[in-house]
Amino acid sequence: MRPTAAAEPILSIRDLAVQFTTEDGIVKAVDGITYDVYPGETLGIVGESGSGKSVSTMSILGLIPQPPGKIVRGEAYFNGKDLLKMSKKELRHVRGSEVSMVFQDPMTSLNPVLKVGYQIGEAIRTHHPNKKDDEVKEQAVGLLRLVGVPNPERRYEQYPHEFSGGMRQRAMIAMAISNSPQLLIADEPTTALDVTIQAQILEVLKKAQDETHAATILITHDLGLVAELAERVIVMYAGKIVEYGDVHTIFESPRHPYTVGLMDSLPRIGVDEEWLRPIPGQPPSLISRPPGCPFHPRCFLSQGRLRCREEEPPLKPIDESTHLTACHFAEELEGRRSKLVEEKAAAEAR
Amino acid sequence: MTTVETTEQVHARAGIGNEILRIENLVKYFPISAGILKRVVGQVHAVDGVNLSLTAGETLGLVGESGCGKTTLGRTVIKLLQPTAGRIVFNGQDITPLSRRRMRDVRRELQIVFQDPYASLNPRMTVREIVAEPLRVHNIYKGKEGRARVDELLRTVGLSPEHANRFPHEFSGGQRQRIGFARALALNPQMVVLDEPVSALDVSIRAQVVNLLESLQRDFGLTYLFIAHDLSLVRHISDRVAVMYLGKIVEIGTREDIYDRPAHPYTQALLSAVPIEEPSQRGRRKRIVLEGDVPSPANPPSGCRFRTRCWKAQPICAEEEPALMDRGQGHPSACHFAEIVKPLDLTESPAGAPIAVTGPTSG
Repeated sequence: MRPTAAAEPILSIRDLAVQFTTEDGIVKAVDGITYDVYPGETLGIVGESGSGKSVSTMSILGLIPQPPGKIVRGEAYFNGKDLLKMSKKELRHVRGSEVSMVFQDPMTSLNPVLKVGYQIGEAIRTHHPNKKDDEVKEQAVGLLRLVGVPNPERRYEQYPHEFSGGMRQRAMIAMAISNSPQLLIADEPTTALDVTIQAQILEVLKKAQDETHAATILITHDLGLVAELAERVIVMYAGKIVEYGDVHTIFESPRHPYTVGLMDSLPRIGVDEEWLRPIPGQPPSLISRPPGCPFHPRCFLSQGRLRCREEEPPLKPIDESTHLTACHFAEELEGRRSKLVEEKAAAEAR
Repeated sequence: MTTVETTEQVHARAGIGNEILRIENLVKYFPISAGILKRVVGQVHAVDGVNLSLTAGETLGLVGESGCGKTTLGRTVIKLLQPTAGRIVFNGQDITPLSRRRMRDVRRELQIVFQDPYASLNPRMTVREIVAEPLRVHNIYKGKEGRARVDELLRTVGLSPEHANRFPHEFSGGQRQRIGFARALALNPQMVVLDEPVSALDVSIRAQVVNLLESLQRDFGLTYLFIAHDLSLVRHISDRVAVMYLGKIVEIGTREDIYDRPAHPYTQALLSAVPIEEPSQRGRRKRIVLEGDVPSPANPPSGCRFRTRCWKAQPICAEEEPALMDRGQGHPSACHFAEIVKPLDLTESPAGAPIAVTGPTSG
């Protein structure tokens, strides 16, 4: 589903900044990010480790330890109410019913001493305390069946260690959709899984979304996953959004040098090349972020220009479109196609 | 300082084009023990009858899911694990019965780089000590020359010799992996086993390290056994590719054989699961979604090990194990019903539902 201009966002994050105090100094994990999520859509958040992609969503649900974490400023409106101003009790009510999460590691996100069925039932009972036990069980078994767990009646009675990684992730998804959430946050949902199991979980996620019509935030470092699932994409680097737009635009004509670099650096299964094209250098330390544009020391476009070193580029629209980029010289990337599009055009010309 | 060799000299020394490693019927079982007496109650069939041959200067990619035995195979090849049965022939010499002491000489030529750059470097040693250790073990680290050799190795892998006195924790993952390469290269090996060398690294760092591996191979005439699960990366780096499933090689061939003309259903399923990198082509690849999980290697299915998840399975698959041989597809595969399918090709119109794969599932 594509968001229409008239649709109200279900989640609006405004100028969110999150810091962690460490021995070495203050880590600005998320530094002033703003975005919207619309009903029914899938928003992909892409970034490397340390880019702030997970913290940006965990923090608004009160899931970061405080201290050392601290939400410095910002607002996060969910259905018109600011999540950051809610009491712990109110937030607990939102979490698991209206907003739910699927985490990367299905091995550690289930309680090992409780039966899987009980844990799914718990998610249902917490938000529907008056439901009868057999109703809860029936619903939990139905959810396990929906996410493709074979023999759901038997599986209901088993413990997490009797489940494989893929099955545990299915159980997590069953739990996450048990209360028909309006927003599903999937944080690296397939990273810990094998390729063939990944494919299964992708289908389950799609099915879960069809079933619940939940808006989904897909947090991942895997561009392929985003290309496959997301409608709109946020690219994060060093705690900031550097590019934001619909998935076709981002993949076909990226307008931030980091996005371009990231896409060019990946080996593509349909592209033959002798050498990969890496992004030089290392991701920056979030304690001593480079001044100006955080990407400038690694940027092929900047080439030492003073403006990149001194002035932090704001995230602004290109030609008043919905495609945003945070680069002073984004117009110089105009007409530059991504590697894959380039390669396809060359193949067609042959 | 050693003198710089020409590419021809490097290749002559490395014997480019000759067989460097042959694995015959390699088996590695791990015992499962239970009870207070630790009685052996079963065996994990991690590697179960693998035959492979590597030519000097090439890269053989080894792909498969976790638990398929690819890491065990890599470690058994350089005899960090003693094989249960079978033969490993390196440079014409059967190294299977060699003692630890005798293996030391072989390991000058046969090195390994591990997946986790955080666990594979001793945190109490400086980078210089880490890289010099193989030289010391072989008694060839001598004073000034030794120092110069370490500096040269660090430069080769793209690190500055000034960093030699630092400790591993001061380096990022990508840099640590470079230190691991410097250590592996210290003795001028002919062959390196690379066990998931970039999986633990950040996306933007991976390409740097992959390029480094390729230029090292070119400069030193290295042979690589490249173990990984990332199919796009394996395609990029490999000359030939072997696909493993539950301790056995199910298909092997050139890069083009495996990616463009796969004959084994498991290879086809793996390839079809690779995400399409172009949003506009979404849904135009027929995805083969396998049901169930990889069966336990402690109790592998009879006959063909893939049959419990295979949509082509027939009674014969349970009775007779398919041999790894060419069945008319131009390269060997281990399937009674081998047939070329092109899972990477895009269909003209968006496919609706993924191909439903039915088969007995492990409940």
